[in-house]
Amino acid sequence: MPQKEALQNAAESLQIGGLTRKQLQKLESKEKTKKDKRFEAVTLSLPILCGLIAVAEYLYIPDNRPNHDPHMYLYVLFGFIAAYVIYLVVALIRQAGGESAVYEKVHYKAPRYAALFLLAALYDYLTLKTGILTQPFVPCMNFIICAAVGDRMMLWDCTIHTLLLLFLGYSIGVLLGLITGIACGYSKRCRYWVDPVINFLGPIPTSTWIPIMMVVASSLFGGAVFIIALGSWFAVTVASMTGVHNVDKDLFDAARTLGAKERQLVFRVAIPHAMPSILQGCTQAMGSSCTAIMIAEMLGVKSGLGWYMTWAKAWASYDKMFAALFVICLIFTLVTKSLDLVKRHVLRWQTGVESNG
Amino acid sequence: MDNEKVVLELSHVSKSFAKIDTDEVTQAIYDISITMESGEFISLVGPSGCGKSTILRLVAGLIMPTTGKVTVNGQEVTGTSPDRGMVFQKPTLFPWLTVEKNIGFSLTLQGRQKEKAGRIEEMISLIGLEKFREDYPNQLSGGMAQRVALVRTLINEPNILLLDEPLGALDAFTRMNMQDEIIKMWEKRQHLALMVTHDVDEAIYMGTRVLVMDSSPGRILADIPIDKALTRDRSSDTFVAHRNDILRKLHFSGSAAG
Ligand SMILES: Nc1ncnc2c1ncn2[C@@H]1O[C@H](COP(=O)(O)OP(=O)(O)OP(=O)(O)O)[C@@H](O)[C@H]1O
Ligand SMILES: [Mg+2]
Repeated sequence: MPQKEALQNAAESLQIGGLTRKQLQKLESKEKTKKDKRFEAVTLSLPILCGLIAVAEYLYIPDNRPNHDPHMYLYVLFGFIAAYVIYLVVALIRQAGGESAVYEKVHYKAPRYAALFLLAALYDYLTLKTGILTQPFVPCMNFIICAAVGDRMMLWDCTIHTLLLLFLGYSIGVLLGLITGIACGYSKRCRYWVDPVINFLGPIPTSTWIPIMMVVASSLFGGAVFIIALGSWFAVTVASMTGVHNVDKDLFDAARTLGAKERQLVFRVAIPHAMPSILQGCTQAMGSSCTAIMIAEMLGVKSGLGWYMTWAKAWASYDKMFAALFVICLIFTLVTKSLDLVKRHVLRWQTGVESNG
Repeated sequence: MDNEKVVLELSHVSKSFAKIDTDEVTQAIYDISITMESGEFISLVGPSGCGKSTILRLVAGLIMPTTGKVTVNGQEVTGTSPDRGMVFQKPTLFPWLTVEKNIGFSLTLQGRQKEKAGRIEEMISLIGLEKFREDYPNQLSGGMAQRVALVRTLINEPNILLLDEPLGALDAFTRMNMQDEIIKMWEKRQHLALMVTHDVDEAIYMGTRVLVMDSSPGRILADIPIDKALTRDRSSDTFVAHRNDILRKLHFSGSAAG
């Protein structure tokens, strides 16, 4: 490719130091053959193709049972196909502008998106079209979507409740966990008192507390906050304690000779050094919080998505139950993803350069 | 430069360490007395484990002597101070800070924000790492990291500079450059430098005094003044004579080694 050759020449005459990161990437990537390119084009159009297959499956195979409001599912399918097309177009425009990161990502994920569309088609076939999966316990996509849309006010309300409970419990737990964990990691006396508590509470799964909480707590909401906070507190305390405790002694020595006081040793050396471990603890705490909140809502608390699911089940509205399941899935994914983003940003020094992707 | 004159004195200093599993103690150094003052560059040579790092850590105030006293201008050392800067055997940079922030670390600690940017700039250009100021330590080569560690300490303009084999990890060429760099700074500032090294040539080339140590327990075998006018040339007669002398004292048989 002439453009590439020109780049190479430029690099040689200018010294490598004069290259931008974009040019470096281009220089280091292999030249693509015609065959590679054709293969890439096929990969990229795969999700659109599979999306259309899903649409065709829905439209042309006769239904096994009555289907009200049949276009809802189609809207969603077309919505996803359109979203993918927009994503792809943006990626192509960016690539034409020389920034290939988005393109690489689309190319990497395209087969997965395609598989998702196929999965949707298969699911629809097994439920609506043939009823192989027991009806009405496993409702078809269209029912679930209709239920979600029809009951959106209630679902929204429940989502807000769940998120409120989750964040309240989680942030209290993490905050207290950070304080005890860091204090214990740094001071022996603190560890002396907290260690037994951790050893005693550690083996007990958080959900064990829920029945007790329901009897003891004056408000179930407060009780649920307590349980979620307890679980996160535990995870964060243990993680930050080990993190701070294992700080490289040489770094402390270096900081001391540079004039650090005790407090500065904690805040400027121990905590940043323990950050990977602390964030690991936060992720773990989020997992345990998500579990605890669902159990709490299913057993006692009278609001939130967990409660909604049991409520829908009691009324035999399985479509609503599944709708709530999807919403739960979505918000927990979003929460975990955002935590991951925070982690990646804070810990960028670990990898040095962020990977190109 | 306007740094004050200092006199560093170790009088009858011993240091023992308790072993972890047994009741025994390791006597790292025993009854050491030396006096050093500003304007001197002291090289410390001796076999591995003879207590060289221990002496530096005592002077830095990281550890306290078992018996005896370490004093600076008559005042006993009871803790660390940015006035007694130390460069460690390993670079020990803070991996979560960029080069720039590592260098400025001690000024940040002391809240000296105003002069910070200028001083950091000065230090970065001293070691020629202008292009790497935004990089994190694990993106640096070993030699670059060691240079950053050196100026991170120098930014405080310490009156006593403690160097624990700061050049051990460098290749011969970079090492010689860094030796000259350190000497230039010392000549300009006339502080007291105390440097541990494994390399006898380096000790003679850089030092105004070479302390030769022996192990178990660590003590000072010889205190050899070096005439700088005669030893800047590594092949001069005086240089070779010093080298043979020191090697003999370090129990190397065959004084013609080298
Ligand atoms: N923190 C410690 N705990 C126990 N023993 C120690 C400690 N620090 C040093 N020692 C012991 O003291 C002795 C001297 O150690 P030191 O680190 O001063 O040696 P060194 O001369 O610097 O050796 P090298 O040239 O290998 O760095 C060694 O026998 C070592 O085992
Ligand atoms: Mg040592």
